[in-house]
Amino acid sequence: MVLNQIVLGLATGSFYSLIALGIVMIYKTTGVMNFAFGNMAMFMAYVAFTFTAMGLGPAVALIIVLPLAALFGYAVERFTLRPIRHLSHASMLIVTLGILMILEGLVTQIWGTRYKNFPELIKGKPFVFSGKAGIVVFRRQDILVFLILICISVLIYLLIKHTKLGIAIKAVSENEKAAQLMGISPGKVFSWMWMFGTALGALVAVLSAPKTYISPVMMVFYQIEGFTAAVLGGFESFAGAIVGGLALGVIENLVGTYISNELKSTFSLILIIVVLLIRPQGLLGSRKIRRV
Amino acid sequence: MLELRNVEVCYGPVRAVKNISFVVKRDSITALLGANGSGKSSTLYAVAGTNTITEGQILYDSKRIDHLPAYERVRNGIVLCPESGQIFAQMTVLENLRAGAYSRRDSYTDELRMVFDLFPRLKERQKQLAGTLSGGERQMLAIARALMARPRFLMLDEPSMGLAPNLVSQIMKTIQRIRSLGVTVLLVEQNAFSALKISDYAYVLQTGKLVMEGKASEMLRDKRIIERYLGG
Repeated sequence: MVLNQIVLGLATGSFYSLIALGIVMIYKTTGVMNFAFGNMAMFMAYVAFTFTAMGLGPAVALIIVLPLAALFGYAVERFTLRPIRHLSHASMLIVTLGILMILEGLVTQIWGTRYKNFPELIKGKPFVFSGKAGIVVFRRQDILVFLILICISVLIYLLIKHTKLGIAIKAVSENEKAAQLMGISPGKVFSWMWMFGTALGALVAVLSAPKTYISPVMMVFYQIEGFTAAVLGGFESFAGAIVGGLALGVIENLVGTYISNELKSTFSLILIIVVLLIRPQGLLGSRKIRRV
Repeated sequence: MLELRNVEVCYGPVRAVKNISFVVKRDSITALLGANGSGKSSTLYAVAGTNTITEGQILYDSKRIDHLPAYERVRNGIVLCPESGQIFAQMTVLENLRAGAYSRRDSYTDELRMVFDLFPRLKERQKQLAGTLSGGERQMLAIARALMARPRFLMLDEPSMGLAPNLVSQIMKTIQRIRSLGVTVLLVEQNAFSALKISDYAYVLQTGKLVMEGKASEMLRDKRIIERYLGG
């Protein structure tokens, strides 16, 4: 029973981790808390829905939507945020709030307010294992999401450790002015991070759509959980975002099963406050290292 | 090689650099001297491109570069080594050096060998986080990182700041060695004696204005100049 709840928690947590990764990618380099993150993902889910309505399969729709989402992220950063970057962070936050509202209005106008069905990428009976620890059920779609999280984690590790873009990301995150003196264009790094981040959001929206259905509010819950996971893991750490999301998913599922389903979000938020009081930098965030 | 024509740099209403003009000749070490707040570093950052000039022109190899963003100037061989506080503290020594080589499209293994040869201490500490290095080691890293870009024109901002006298002389010797590799050097220093000893030519700034220029060897001999403009 416990093992099954942990497996289900990891499946939910994989979504939280992917959302947290997308949010952290954008925040770490540009310093912008993208409040429109969830709604940008929701918009791309509607685009994927349109492709499936035209007769394409969900996997093909996802493959088409991911580069479109990256382009969408690029356009938002390049044409709405970068021009006002010299003003203040507050002005950029307001722009992301504006985009959030515009997208909500836009999807209502184009697709209406009725919930839309979206098929699972993988269909079939779940894998069921029974043993001394009880029955454990692995849904195929959950396995797929968990595998995607592992693949993306490995790709991010390789990107950061072994590529020029990875070095540029680290340099811009730490000191934008010094990075420019190395020949690094911060604008290019911002664009890449918005593209990756938005594509990750779209990936979660499409993968979760069979459960949540497609609606203007489908990503509100995931965005809140993603922010929470990012804070828990350490807001500037990719590894922290992954661990934070998985931990949050497991904790919520265990609390929901053994204490109270109504209290699961409250309990996990209390736990996060406790963690942050003990470790303000989050689980895997690092304090600024400086020799004195 | 580098020419500034009536360059002005402002921070809001404050004019930090007031219509200065000077020339840096190829293969030379030129010192830009002056007291704190005289506009030396503002001038360097204007040449590097992270400070915007409000008046004047900056020419490099007879071409205007003042419209280029900082990262484009690096690709043209103009590299600024900022003061040592601006190393990437959360990155390892090796990652800092890789960041320095970012603008290079070819292999940088020769430069890596060269900087490890210049600063053997960095080789020993290449896997260590840069934020844990001592002041002298950070300065070495800042210079080494700048060299990784294979500069043709290297600007150094206060390379001796906060260092013990023996380290200062080591850094100055290294700068001479860098020049011998065919790199033109523009050196900003508060430590006028050390800078003049290794420079060919020098300019003196005072409250944003160019007040004196001359051969470094002559300035070094004139005690009145040292006392009046360079803090004794």
